[in-house]
Amino acid sequence: MSTLLIKGRTWKFGDSIDSGNIDGVMGGVDPEFKSKVKPGDILIAGKFFGMGASDEHAPRSLREAGIAGVVAESISNIFLRTLVNIGLPAMECSGIAAAVREGDEIEVDFVGGRVHNLRSSRTLRGDALPEFALQILDRGGLIPYLKSGGKFK
Amino acid sequence: MGMTITEKIIARAANKNRVAAGDIVVANVDKLYIKDLRFSKKEDAKGLYGVLLEVLKSMGKQQVWNGRNIVVNLDEQPPRNERRAEGQERARDFAREQRAVLYEGQEGGIGHNVMVEHGHVKPGEFIVGGDSHTCTYGALGAFATGVGFTETVGVLATGQIWLKVPTTIRFDLSGKPGPFVAGKDIVLWVAGKIGYEGAINRTLEYSGPGIQEVSIESRLTMCNMAVEMIAVNAIIPPDERTVSYVSETSDGDFSLLHSDADAAYEQVHRVDLDQIEPQVAAPEYPANAHPVGDFKGVKIHQGFIGTCTNGRIEDLRMAAEILRGRKVKAGVRLIITPASFLAYRLAEKEGLLEIFKQADAVVTSSECGLCVRPSLAAGEVCVSAGNRNYRGRMGPKESSVFLSNAATVAASAVAGQISDPRDYL
Repeated sequence: MSTLLIKGRTWKFGDSIDSGNIDGVMGGVDPEFKSKVKPGDILIAGKFFGMGASDEHAPRSLREAGIAGVVAESISNIFLRTLVNIGLPAMECSGIAAAVREGDEIEVDFVGGRVHNLRSSRTLRGDALPEFALQILDRGGLIPYLKSGGKFK
Repeated sequence: MGMTITEKIIARAANKNRVAAGDIVVANVDKLYIKDLRFSKKEDAKGLYGVLLEVLKSMGKQQVWNGRNIVVNLDEQPPRNERRAEGQERARDFAREQRAVLYEGQEGGIGHNVMVEHGHVKPGEFIVGGDSHTCTYGALGAFATGVGFTETVGVLATGQIWLKVPTTIRFDLSGKPGPFVAGKDIVLWVAGKIGYEGAINRTLEYSGPGIQEVSIESRLTMCNMAVEMIAVNAIIPPDERTVSYVSETSDGDFSLLHSDADAAYEQVHRVDLDQIEPQVAAPEYPANAHPVGDFKGVKIHQGFIGTCTNGRIEDLRMAAEILRGRKVKAGVRLIITPASFLAYRLAEKEGLLEIFKQADAVVTSSECGLCVRPSLAAGEVCVSAGNRNYRGRMGPKESSVFLSNAATVAASAVAGQISDPRDYL
């Protein structure tokens, strides 16, 4: 397992969760979540995950809580960029909300664009990010990526 | 299949013949806007410039991608605390060492207004800015969107950014706005129609014959509030008004792009400008918009005219039309903050500041002002010409904010309750 191929327990959230509610490790949705989540867990969300302000506190709080990856039906444009740029693997995957029950163990291959649910044995296809974005994630975010000589494209 | 104006600008910036909604591309940025606040953000202990210098060092560089295309603006004048003062100091160091353009003092005001007024926004450009209301610039036919802290560092170091090409929702405007109906009313009406997340991950494009009846300043307001519908950007294809405005503010070197007739739109809506009344958005979302008449009689404690949304000269003129020869109701405060010193000086020249003074309004120095710092007590109500009325936006959770155009704010301050500016005609 690497940063871009992960296996972990899932936590499920709904549609249209804005960055203000994501801030403080999903604090606006579930204030207890912070104490329940364990490093390596995977966050599943519905449509428009991370809509709202471009502030980086919200995605950083998820990374700092040890969340290994985010898979959502869709992710707000700027939030998706920010997740990648701060080094938290993320993928849009249509059908994920219906395919996962909270607590399911899943395997996510961010490079191949696949989600495998170990409980149901079902595999879903997601929208894998382009090569340079995967490399940014592999190096832990845009700033370490640029520092180590990485380029766009 | 043709392309929308947004797709054409992104394709040009990405050195591609064509792009389509959903493509992820790397684009070359034409301009970057940074506000002073970014230099005192606490996301990283070293601050924006500290992190950037480390990145540049490891890339074997000393200078950013292109200082001439970077505009730094001090939005807060004077800085409100020590940390902000330090941030501004850092912003000045940055501008000097990286040969970026810096605005402050009498040259300045709110960054978005400064960018537009000083010719840093031209049709066809690909612009990003470290503030969510960067989308304002789409009014001049540019692609413009807000970026985060890390992205700002990335653009400074490389001049590039990656993004997903948004799908477009088009609004076809027809007719002509009535008295005291301005860009704010059009955009609140649009927000009311599509909802507060109605444009998420999308472009809002305003076109049709009616757009010719909409002033540049109103267009800036319409594009400014795109982010309140969570749009990536808003854009108005350039026309004669655009060309005439930008020829005056800038070096005049720009290209005019337009959407193709067979471009792909996710949705197309019609807007009859004749049917739009002055709008008021009730707490706690800008999309909670209805005709002003629905709120008549709501008592207010404060009126606020200003911000990157509605602090331009057109707004000050509208307010002055109401306030001429009238007084703000006793017990109500009306704060007027021209968004830029250019607007401030123009208002002074036109005698508007005197009208405001005679009306007992308070005119402040040009900055973001009450839009970014609390001014209400619990239980108080403000009618604001700004862009956001979320819970607690201007004070404690128990205070509330209604949004409207500047004339409606002025009329409400005179009456002490939400009022229709058309009653003052």
